[in-house]
Amino acid sequence: MSSFATAGTWKSARDWRLYAGLAAALCVALLSSLLFGYRIYTPADLWQAATAFDGSEAHIVIRDHRLPRAIIAPICGAALGVAGVIMQTLARNRIASPDTLGVNAGASLAVVAASALLGVDSIAGLSLASATGALLTSLLVFAIASTAGGLSPLRIVLVGVTIAGLFHALVEVVLTVREAELDQLLFWLSGAFVDRPLVLATGGSLFVAAGLLMAVFLVRPLDIMQTDDATARTLGAPLGLVRAGCIVCVSLLTGAAVAMAGPVAFVGLVVPHAARRLVGLNHGAQIAAAALCGALYATVADVIARFVIYPLEAPVGAVTAVVGGVLLIVLLRRRAA
Amino acid sequence: MSAGSHLAKSDHVTRPRETLAWGIVAVLAALAVVIVILGIALGSTWLAPEKVVAVLLGSGERKDQLIVLQLRTPRVAIAVLSGGAIAVAGYLLQKVTRNSLASPGVLGVLDGAALGVIIFLAVFSNESNALVIPIQWQPVAALIGAVLAIAAVFILSGNQASSAIRLLMFGIAVAAVAKAATMILMLVGPIYRTTQAARWIAGSVNEINWTEVSIVFASVVPLLLLVLAISRHLRPADLDEVSVRGIGLNLPVFRIFVFFLAAALTAVAVCFVGAVGFVGLMAPHMARMLVGRAVVPAVIASFLLGAIMLTGADLIVRALFAPTEVPAGTVTAVVGTPYFLYLLMRKEKTSG
Repeated sequence: MSSFATAGTWKSARDWRLYAGLAAALCVALLSSLLFGYRIYTPADLWQAATAFDGSEAHIVIRDHRLPRAIIAPICGAALGVAGVIMQTLARNRIASPDTLGVNAGASLAVVAASALLGVDSIAGLSLASATGALLTSLLVFAIASTAGGLSPLRIVLVGVTIAGLFHALVEVVLTVREAELDQLLFWLSGAFVDRPLVLATGGSLFVAAGLLMAVFLVRPLDIMQTDDATARTLGAPLGLVRAGCIVCVSLLTGAAVAMAGPVAFVGLVVPHAARRLVGLNHGAQIAAAALCGALYATVADVIARFVIYPLEAPVGAVTAVVGGVLLIVLLRRRAA
Repeated sequence: MSAGSHLAKSDHVTRPRETLAWGIVAVLAALAVVIVILGIALGSTWLAPEKVVAVLLGSGERKDQLIVLQLRTPRVAIAVLSGGAIAVAGYLLQKVTRNSLASPGVLGVLDGAALGVIIFLAVFSNESNALVIPIQWQPVAALIGAVLAIAAVFILSGNQASSAIRLLMFGIAVAAVAKAATMILMLVGPIYRTTQAARWIAGSVNEINWTEVSIVFASVVPLLLLVLAISRHLRPADLDEVSVRGIGLNLPVFRIFVFFLAAALTAVAVCFVGAVGFVGLMAPHMARMLVGRAVVPAVIASFLLGAIMLTGADLIVRALFAPTEVPAGTVTAVVGTPYFLYLLMRKEKTSG
């Protein structure tokens, strides 16, 4: 990664062009998310649905099916992308992410347990349960990882993946006992933006906003955290406080994303790598780029998922899992971790 | 290999140790028989164990015969065969990679086999959801998937394969891709395929019939005999390359053969049961802990322990969740996760 080590040199002109490009790409992705699917609509249909809604099939599909996912997908993607950046710096580990550290799985277990066993059905309650599950899991994984004086990056990931496997097994138990339909179960377990009510987005985006705000405050400490512990302490970073802040921030972001869409795999692994490639190691730039890239990636993956097994729809998490698995292999082969 | 080093010291006192090993194998066999009888006895109605034994020995009432032979024994039989086969596969992998964290689950073999079966079900079903070729071919599909997956893991990891941890990471990555592909394909098929395939999500031994049991039996037994036949060479296989060549064994070829055997055992074991995690990790470990380095008793002990674990896990889910069919793989995951984490922490010295 050293060739991209432009930390601290803020090339504003180039960066702004980059952000503008990403934002433009995101707009195109959002538009295609509204237009493409089982039925393909024209921009004219979209315009009429927005201005002169007449209750026709096209207008209902656009308003009730396409619009919610075009809103939820980018929010989830941005949240997971930023969470990934923070986790990779926090764990000083390029293959850390909400998935590889089991945080996604912890959040989904909490959501399933809260809704199936405790009867929680409010959006706020589910988001809160999800964030709590994410928080407890990150604490658990980092606690295990910090025993024996810190584990190697790969070992932390193995701990995370193993715990994720256990949580997935438990989610399956809860869902089978509650007699969820199999295809529902498959969709939930792999994450999907389809058929999520729009209220989820309003509830979840509050948590995402809180998490992003925390991330902004964590920019400077995160830059310092990239050095080793001793240097960071000399530079005046309150390590314990920063770590706690990072974990809470990641839990809010991951928890909200999982509450909205289920565990969408490996977004938090792929996006930070793309962001670092684009803007280098400065965390302010990285987080901004990760938010845009994450939103773009999730939206595009969501559109692709509609066509992989057309006319049926694949869970978007399966699409991102293939991409993420391949990236993981590439990173391992390069010994990036 | 901390267990290995202190066992190596006792190697020159082989005789009493070997006798002890066979004694332990006998105890495990007795335990397996008890679990099997309990497994048949427990169900929606409790059958007294003596009635079960009577039926199995060829007598007993007609009603009991029906319950035992038609409903319960196939399920228990498949658990015994599959659990045992996965455990032996794990033993082979741990032995030949000299990696005590290796198992069919983490090297991508399970998910590869699953993908093979899903593709088989998707390709060879007609519009009315019936298979167009005999179901006997299903293990072949599982085998192809398993072999391709383990080959992918080793080819991709290249010279990093010697690091236990790195090898596992490649296994996890390959497994993630295979699992995602499986998930997509499961949704493509009509509902028959999906429910057939559902066993693959977590591993489950319900709804097994005698045809499936006989297919598994007919493939597991020859494979096990093959394992025992080559067991003489397994012992030196955990030496380093140079010493092995010194005793005239072509290690690369032998290794590939053992990988193939392990993949085959896993494939037939899981092709009707599904991806049961951690049995392939825990059973061989315990076997080596109990009987030491002697290969033949360790293979048999692995088989017995695997059989006990899967039958026991199925017994537990039936006792806890009946009438809902929770996959037995859940129990093995709950027990296996802490065990795997313990191994991971303990072996911090040999860092990746």
